[in-house]
Amino acid sequence: MKKYEIIDHKTDLKIKSFAKTKKDIFSNMLVAMTESMKPRFGKKREKVTREIKIKSEDFKTLLVDFLNEVLYLSQTNREVYFDINFKKFSEDELRAEVSGQKINRFNEDIKAATFHNLEIEKERGVWQSTVLFDI
Amino acid sequence: MQKSDFKKISNYLWEIPKDFRQDMKVPARFYVSEKSIEDIFRDKSINQLVNVATLSGIVNYSLAMPDMHEGYGFPIGGVAAVDLTSGVISPGGVGYDINCGMRVLKSDYLEKDIKPHLEKLATEIQKDVPSGLGRGRNIKLDLNSINKILEGGVQKLVEQGYGEKEDLENCESQGRISLADSLTVSDHAKNRGRDQLGTLGSGNHFLEIQKVEEIFDQETAEVFGLFKDQIVIMIHTGSRGLGHQIATDYIKIMMGAMRKYNVNLPDRELAACPISSNEGQRYLRAMACGANYAWSNRQMISFFIKKAWKSVLGEKSLPLVLLYDVAHNIAKIEKHIISGREMELCVHRKGSTRAFPPGHPEIPKKYQKIGQPVLIPGSMGTASYILAGQREGKEAFFSTCHGAGRAMSRKEATRRISGQEVKKRLESKGILVKCWSFKGIAEEAPMAYKDIDDVVETVHSAGLSKKVTKLIPLAVIKGE
Repeated sequence: MKKYEIIDHKTDLKIKSFAKTKKDIFSNMLVAMTESMKPRFGKKREKVTREIKIKSEDFKTLLVDFLNEVLYLSQTNREVYFDINFKKFSEDELRAEVSGQKINRFNEDIKAATFHNLEIEKERGVWQSTVLFDI
Repeated sequence: MQKSDFKKISNYLWEIPKDFRQDMKVPARFYVSEKSIEDIFRDKSINQLVNVATLSGIVNYSLAMPDMHEGYGFPIGGVAAVDLTSGVISPGGVGYDINCGMRVLKSDYLEKDIKPHLEKLATEIQKDVPSGLGRGRNIKLDLNSINKILEGGVQKLVEQGYGEKEDLENCESQGRISLADSLTVSDHAKNRGRDQLGTLGSGNHFLEIQKVEEIFDQETAEVFGLFKDQIVIMIHTGSRGLGHQIATDYIKIMMGAMRKYNVNLPDRELAACPISSNEGQRYLRAMACGANYAWSNRQMISFFIKKAWKSVLGEKSLPLVLLYDVAHNIAKIEKHIISGREMELCVHRKGSTRAFPPGHPEIPKKYQKIGQPVLIPGSMGTASYILAGQREGKEAFFSTCHGAGRAMSRKEATRRISGQEVKKRLESKGILVKCWSFKGIAEEAPMAYKDIDDVVETVHSAGLSKKVTKLIPLAVIKGE
């Protein structure tokens, strides 16, 4: 099963991700967003780990809040993250460690993960989520 | 929705009556030429305009400009004026890029004077004004300095020597909304802004060295200090990560608080709270901080352009002077006459430019007789326009268009044309392209945008703003 696909959108970046579990929705969307920022790595591949704590209204909001927090950490620290290790995961709260690498530059500037036409649903045993990013 | 649901008000103005949907508080109106009317069904922008008409306290109409397209909650190109006492404020009515806007610097040189130096000038400017996606600015401001920018805007920068006093007069709100309160802005937002002051960003943000190609209104052009074949520099950028984070923070805050105030909306991205509420007041002050940061960003970019200008053309070269700086993503407290009575309104303009008429107290003295300069960028490599605000714009709360508007997705554009090809085509027209990514160039190819000439013709004919000059690019510069 592919982790995600980019859906054609006139003005922005629309990503649909596929997952077997609710946790994997977050992991796969993380990878999708990271790859969409088109990071360019330096020669030295320095590893990094960051803590994330989020409390939200509901599960959908939790996903958007999580992506926006990752975006903040990426842009202010000039890092990207590929892996996530959950310490706590519920319908409206998560605590986790994301890990990845330092980068030299981004080739895409993502402004924010938005709530526009946000979808998370289970279809024939597969979780699917669609998020629109403002770029 | 179909064309038969629309009432034709004039050749360029259409209305969806209030009874179209039960929850509408006012009719929805949009400016579009008859030949482009079918285009508005290409996305959901018209439904979004109807949703905006449901906002509490909205006055007269929800409005959309001819370059409208689908946005988040509000359509891009949307205008909503709400009563300050009974209305709501919506971060979605401003957008993620708070005070994304335009600035034009004018020179006293003609095209023939600059042509021999063009390549060097473009190279130098590209070097001095980074995109901010790679290396940021070398200086990382501390939080205290950021707070001063957020509250002091361009006025603070001019005090510090990054500009002249007349830069203040020639900037919307003199480069500072005094409501700004840095305590309403999160540390997340401030941190995103620490190394981005004086950076261009990516996407459709650009710098262009342009020449005045055509003059439509000689008298107004003279007051603006514009003449045929003159060299000008156009800057299109906004509040960068700092503004994006303020929007992200307050959309979340308002979504959580809406229930408390019984605000029910057809789309959650419209998230809004009463202006008089704690959340509304805090957003208004935070948004003002974002706006001040954006004006400061364009001021710092001007500072670095002027530095490059002098290093290439010499210390004794004729200076670059600010013509005007105006936002196209902002909410402002303004006084308007509604049914013969002066009212204080919060005017949301999202992808729409303020266009105050002659005689308006909020425009520079020297432009009082002719109206506020309106700066409209074309898509990369195509014409841009300078217009002037008109009295007939009253019905639109003195608002006009903001640009061409996308007609094709980035993916579609890159499928149809390569960056190299776009560069080649532009260069064959004598336009120099300085960019760091060919893909970015393909995504912004002229074919991916609506026809700017039609958009400008519509706002001109509808009386929202009159054409003064047409500008064409000589060099397109995207930061390193």
